[in-house]
Amino acid sequence: MNLDVLAGCMTTAACAVTQVSTGLIVGMLLFLVASGLSLIFGVLGVVNFAHGVFYMLGAYFAFVTYEQTGSFLLALLAGASGAGLAGIVFERFFMSRVYGQDLLMQLLVCYAAILICDDLVKIIFGADYKLMGMPESFATAPVELAGGFIPGYYIFMLAMALGVGAALWLGINRTRLGKIIRALAINPQMVGALGINTRLLYAGVFGLGCLLAGLAGALAAPVRTLTPGMGLSVLIESFIVTVIGGMGSIPGALIAAILIGLTRAFGAIGFPLFVDGLMFALMGLVLILRPSGLLGAKVS
Amino acid sequence: MFKSAKQVGRRALLAGAATGAAVLASPRIAGAQAKVIRVGMPTILSGRVAILGTSSRYAVQYAFARINEAGGLGGRTLQLVERDSKGRPDEAAKVTRDLINNDGCEIIIDGEASSGAFAVHEVVRELPVLCIHTNSETSSLTADPKLRIATAFRCARQGIHDAVAGGVYASAISKQRGLKRWMTCSPDYAYGRDNTAEFLEFARMYDPSIEVVDQVWPRLFAPDYTENITKALQVRPQAMYSALWGGDLVSFIEQSNLYRLFANIALFSSSLGDPPVLTAIKQLPPGLHTAYRYNRNYPEKPSNTAFADGFTGVAKHEPTNWAWQNYVACQFIAEALKRTGGRTEGAALAAELKGMAIQSPLAVEEVLTLRDSDHTLIGYPTAWGRTVPKAPFVEDFATTPWSRILEMETQWKRQKGYA
Amino acid sequence: MRQGLIRDLTLGLLGLALLLVLPAVFPHPSLRDFLIYVIAYGLLAMSLNLLVGLTGLVSFGHAAYFATGAYIFGLLMQSGSVSIPLAMLAALAGTALLALVIGAICVRLKEIYFSFITLAFQMFIHSIILTWVDLTGGDQGLRGGIPRPPFLGIDLGQPGTLYIFCAVVFVLCLLLMRQVWQSPFGYTLRMIRDNPTRASFLGVNVVRMKLGVFVLAGTMASMAGIIMALFVSGAFPEFGFWTTSGEAIFMIMLGGTQVFLGPVIGAFLLQLLNHYVTIYTHHHGLVLGILILAIVLGLRRGVADYVADWISERRRAAAPLGREEGAETAPPTPPAARKMVG
Repeated sequence: MNLDVLAGCMTTAACAVTQVSTGLIVGMLLFLVASGLSLIFGVLGVVNFAHGVFYMLGAYFAFVTYEQTGSFLLALLAGASGAGLAGIVFERFFMSRVYGQDLLMQLLVCYAAILICDDLVKIIFGADYKLMGMPESFATAPVELAGGFIPGYYIFMLAMALGVGAALWLGINRTRLGKIIRALAINPQMVGALGINTRLLYAGVFGLGCLLAGLAGALAAPVRTLTPGMGLSVLIESFIVTVIGGMGSIPGALIAAILIGLTRAFGAIGFPLFVDGLMFALMGLVLILRPSGLLGAKVS
Repeated sequence: MFKSAKQVGRRALLAGAATGAAVLASPRIAGAQAKVIRVGMPTILSGRVAILGTSSRYAVQYAFARINEAGGLGGRTLQLVERDSKGRPDEAAKVTRDLINNDGCEIIIDGEASSGAFAVHEVVRELPVLCIHTNSETSSLTADPKLRIATAFRCARQGIHDAVAGGVYASAISKQRGLKRWMTCSPDYAYGRDNTAEFLEFARMYDPSIEVVDQVWPRLFAPDYTENITKALQVRPQAMYSALWGGDLVSFIEQSNLYRLFANIALFSSSLGDPPVLTAIKQLPPGLHTAYRYNRNYPEKPSNTAFADGFTGVAKHEPTNWAWQNYVACQFIAEALKRTGGRTEGAALAAELKGMAIQSPLAVEEVLTLRDSDHTLIGYPTAWGRTVPKAPFVEDFATTPWSRILEMETQWKRQKGYA
Repeated sequence: MRQGLIRDLTLGLLGLALLLVLPAVFPHPSLRDFLIYVIAYGLLAMSLNLLVGLTGLVSFGHAAYFATGAYIFGLLMQSGSVSIPLAMLAALAGTALLALVIGAICVRLKEIYFSFITLAFQMFIHSIILTWVDLTGGDQGLRGGIPRPPFLGIDLGQPGTLYIFCAVVFVLCLLLMRQVWQSPFGYTLRMIRDNPTRASFLGVNVVRMKLGVFVLAGTMASMAGIIMALFVSGAFPEFGFWTTSGEAIFMIMLGGTQVFLGPVIGAFLLQLLNHYVTIYTHHHGLVLGILILAIVLGLRRGVADYVADWISERRRAAAPLGREEGAETAPPTPPAARKMVG
């Protein structure tokens, strides 16, 4: 515990800027993964335990595209859309067959997907470490802000994540399609009765959730090592975020992700040995006091 | 409803058990004089550290192929049987027992890391075949007399040797450049903590003015190190020691680059010198200090280059630290089998291996020795070097004489109550 | 009930005899190793099924108790001050206490939230094991072997004796769980699984019942952990990692949740599969994954459940007048489909 240093940091502009930005950097990638998870749960009512796989696929698709074309933009597109397509395939051929069955069946299908995809990635790309490398345009010195430092790439990453988050929120709350999706979450039979192809919608929503994970993976590819099984630690953290924020709530995921990010950033200064424990404690506390999470719908 | 169902269950169980028993109970090879000597290897071939197992396997396959091409040993050839423990110690123990009891393996090369190696060690206590640990660097595995087993050896670098060499190297530089304020960033598990504490102990012994201003402990396999990096920006140390390794280290360096962290901080890394790490990093900052893991130009001899080329031919990537350790283990096994005339009893091989010295591409002085007193490897490269932007990425290797390492090791053992 | 007990005891003795005869007929050490492994993991899966199949509580954190049992037992034995039976009792009691504390918090939550909080507690215990290096040895586990001093003339240092001991303990645990499975308590748990509201209207204290079975399941899991610690002569943090829980869940599903011995069959099948798949390929994830998909999407339930359903269907076809054994013939169905949370 070093609370003096923590207080000192919070009152110094340079330190505060750097650490707040750190919290956002850690938090926003987490938000992208967690919002996909939350979206799928909210609309389809299934927990996608294989969500980490799509993060991994996004990273590897982006890696390959970047190696082949040298275009970062194409890499991002390929990572996100590739993971989204993989998600649709997974939903159509596997997940949709266990809807309405018990949780364990869904868990097993996801477990199988993790085992298969991790092994496939190992077979195709090898077991060694891969890194996409920073695109030239971002290889600049970090931006100085009130004495604190923020790397250019991270500013781009934050903008992307925020933009996507805003688009997602607007799309769900302000468009006709969003309205249908919200209706689908509440009463799928009625939506179906109105002549809307619910199966297509389910697949689309599942794909969208996976696309978000894939985008996070692609955004992470220049700075995080690619290995088979890399989705695991991200999966666990995004679960914590989803549970704290409320299963099914995207604004909840945003708040919880930033909360976790800031906890990590300032925890590293004030109580470095306790950061991971604090995250689990926070999750436990939320589950005990308010199982539906900060912004989740009340559990029926 | 459960009555009838239960009977079915039991019947199915019986039938299944009988088939299982029948297949399991047929050992493939028996008899000490079979022409092929099967060598078993429990290791990790899946998940995040799969490269540990795959590069170990390639090294053994390469070594065995060479030995067999040269006519084998007393008319017998070597064959590797490797098994994936998935990084689980109980699985490692079971797989090792299976390799010995069921697959007729007469020798075990233990390619497990960390906890798996201790689990395999306990199996060998019960089933005393020759076992050479090739990937565990934890000092106590061989240093602690309570854990010692007559037929178990370690052919790998050992934490305490690296700590002494690192301390000597780092203190020389810190004195020369006045690096007083130090910070550490190591993974939060037993190896990371022990390794860091031992490094600091020796660095401070040689340069008492070294002051540790902060220590951060990211989780093992953490994807993101930004909070630790920005912490370093606040603390502003002059030098940093890190025991991060593998993919974690790759992420850490690349994320630090975004903040230009190593423009002002001298990094001392225990594991950066491993070729797969060096090749994965896209922008390797020059002038980082790293312990030797493997390098085709050091030790500078033709046999080392030949090993690097030969291994790369099989594995399609440069040798890793794990690769040379397993390769050298095969050299020792071959020599021991030559001396026993192809006999594979654990005790006979162990008697030959105790104190055995061999010529090897990896020997820095004259020979590599499996020390008599504690069954561990000495004489291997413990040098430190500096990174440069082009392959093989590390040069200017500075060596610490083994006499000095051994002297400090003896003191350390006394202090720990091991000797 | 009384007659059922005698039958269970007879079957238990038969099973035990089989377990003891097998290695005598095929005297090969690796068969014994294999069976001990099935016993340890089978017991873990059986204990988890008290929660999953019987009560409808899907715990993701059951390995926590497996690890706790192994560690308490290993630490006590390494201290050198207690005998094996005493250390076993202490490990069981310690784990029961831990399960009581954790369970008191967990069983109040429903469905997926119960799963998550058990997972959170497991991660918490796993991180304690990892960070309390002085006591647990951290990631390297309990080193130096677990001593097995002879007691009452039984020397567990002998592999054959160890095997017999494990087999006897295993059968005893199964008999105990069987009694619970068939007792009024067991039927109350089924009611809670199928309709908790009805159970609570009928005056059942749902929370207390769930807590009771939670503690029992945790204690049985710790027995499995003790067997594993005896076998590998050590305890490792991986015992308490979520993958171990995941594997136990997989064994249950592979075997079936509704047939009493389903989880043991699952454990047996998975170990057999694991054994051969790792021998012939390094892509066991791929093989195992495809197999899981085949079972889940093809059979849609565990192997034993599938066989049981198939047999009861055939019987019904053979007796077209129906109702041969009254209410007991209703085919076992999986727990009611969870209602989707919109």
